[in-house]
Amino acid sequence: MLSGIDYFIVIAYIVGMLLLGLYFKKFVSSSEDYFLGGKSLPFWAIGMSIVVSDIGALDFVGVSGQAYRYGIAVGNFDWVGSVPAMLLAAFIFIPYFWRGGMYTIPEYLGRRYNKSVRTIASATWILFFALDLGVLFWASAVLLNVLMGWPIWISILSTAGVVGLYTYFGGITAVIMTDVVQMIIMFIGGFALVFLSLDAVGGWENMVEKIGTMGPEYQSHFDIIRPIDTKSPFPWTGILFGLTFVMANAYMIGNQSIVQRCLTAKNEWHAKASMIFGSALKMFIPILVLFPGLMAVVVHPDLADGDQALPMMIKTILPPGLVGLMFAAFFAGLMSSVDSLLNSTATLFTKDIYEPFIKKNADDRHYLKVGQITTLVLLGLGVATAPISSDFPGIYVAIQTFMSYFQGPLFAILLLGIFWKRSTQWGGLSALVIGIGFAIFLNVFKAGFFTIEDPFLYISWWSFLLAFIVNVVVSLLTKKHTKAELDGLVFSSKIVTKNKTL
Amino acid sequence: MNEAERTGKIKTAEINRALGVFIFLFGIIITFAMVFTETFIQQMTDMVAGLVLMTIGGGMLWKATHTLKKHKPEEAN
Repeated sequence: MLSGIDYFIVIAYIVGMLLLGLYFKKFVSSSEDYFLGGKSLPFWAIGMSIVVSDIGALDFVGVSGQAYRYGIAVGNFDWVGSVPAMLLAAFIFIPYFWRGGMYTIPEYLGRRYNKSVRTIASATWILFFALDLGVLFWASAVLLNVLMGWPIWISILSTAGVVGLYTYFGGITAVIMTDVVQMIIMFIGGFALVFLSLDAVGGWENMVEKIGTMGPEYQSHFDIIRPIDTKSPFPWTGILFGLTFVMANAYMIGNQSIVQRCLTAKNEWHAKASMIFGSALKMFIPILVLFPGLMAVVVHPDLADGDQALPMMIKTILPPGLVGLMFAAFFAGLMSSVDSLLNSTATLFTKDIYEPFIKKNADDRHYLKVGQITTLVLLGLGVATAPISSDFPGIYVAIQTFMSYFQGPLFAILLLGIFWKRSTQWGGLSALVIGIGFAIFLNVFKAGFFTIEDPFLYISWWSFLLAFIVNVVVSLLTKKHTKAELDGLVFSSKIVTKNKTL
Repeated sequence: MNEAERTGKIKTAEINRALGVFIFLFGIIITFAMVFTETFIQQMTDMVAGLVLMTIGGGMLWKATHTLKKHKPEEAN
């Protein structure tokens, strides 16, 4: 449990977040304000928010744990697994989404392909996000229970109360701006931890030397590229094809909670710059998250679970004050994941399900109210399902894994949708359905196809490839779209030139 | 500068002011936490972290106040 000043800092942070979030209520008067921040936010805030959304508290602990177990190869996820994809998103995809005035990725898919593609994509995201909520509420409650000694139910209700209130009232502006505070705190606490950890292990060279003498399982800890037959989940083929080519792009280009942030930018320049700024910040994440895990190998060599590496380092290395600051950043990471899911799911439901299927052409205040009510319903659902998720310890990993399977086919249809005019509605629909089905098939029978324990990188690559091929074949066999139908939805030098003047 | 741009600037400044106050106050708390540290290096780490937070928060606050002073009177006219 935390004590004294650290306890006070965590409480001050939670109360401060609530007050800040409620303050942003004054900027919400329409559905565009609620879902897209009135399209008025600056690039630096969005860029910080993208980074924070990408690296939530559970990932923070997980990446350090993997660095403890496997070494620096896990850094690939934040370097080649993020930066190139963010630049591709910035220069190619985001401008199309922003110019089209879109609220959701499925909305683009609906315009480019058909309503069925939009609905399937949206329903899948809603399902995953809703399932994730209960898990995140439970994780937040456990963290508060351990740190503050609060009973689980009080912890769940206080998390839901704080996050729910500021997301309900402040919409995405509150979500993004609370992320800004979290990122600043995470960076300051993280750099302090790295500095003090380096001091504790006697400097970088001393640490490398010590780890090198600890046994054969530590010999590859400083190899960023791993061979195909590595026992770690990061063989170079999986990193290159599964991560760099597919998952990273799918995440940065096709994930609603990431892209929705860019769509809040005040203009196209800010939308692009937000991704570029985010990619620059992203390059520091491995230093903040991976290095403490690596140094824990020397400071705490006998940890039973690698995921304990970061909490242990914070507890034993950081001084009073910064311990509270880092745990506040942890809790804020969880709050950030919850508020992103709440707002993105409310956006997907209102724009892709409610508006086209339940009530068309209502006035804007109505859709704002629907978005807010959806947020409340999701909040209730998350609180109600939180205890259930505790009965399934592997559920978070399972949800994340299935989400990654969905992303390969989604990226295939996004890529062909933008770059290949000949891609048709039936090509897109069949690619999405067959691709997801194939990913599930590979996951069920993975023992027969793959030699590594957790082949999620390979599965996303093969499901992407199959979806790509299916889209091409079916599109060539079906009626192509007219030029007017594709206007503003596919890549063309003419459109790029025209928008340079915007 | 048109009305929409000016409103946008005021909104950004108001957001920055709120964030600035929060980060600045947080910086004061972290600097104060020096009292509870045991070693010199821990003291220095708390002090540097607190001062960095106060500088960022103070900077945001100063910039926001400056922008609001510049644009708010126009709003009144």
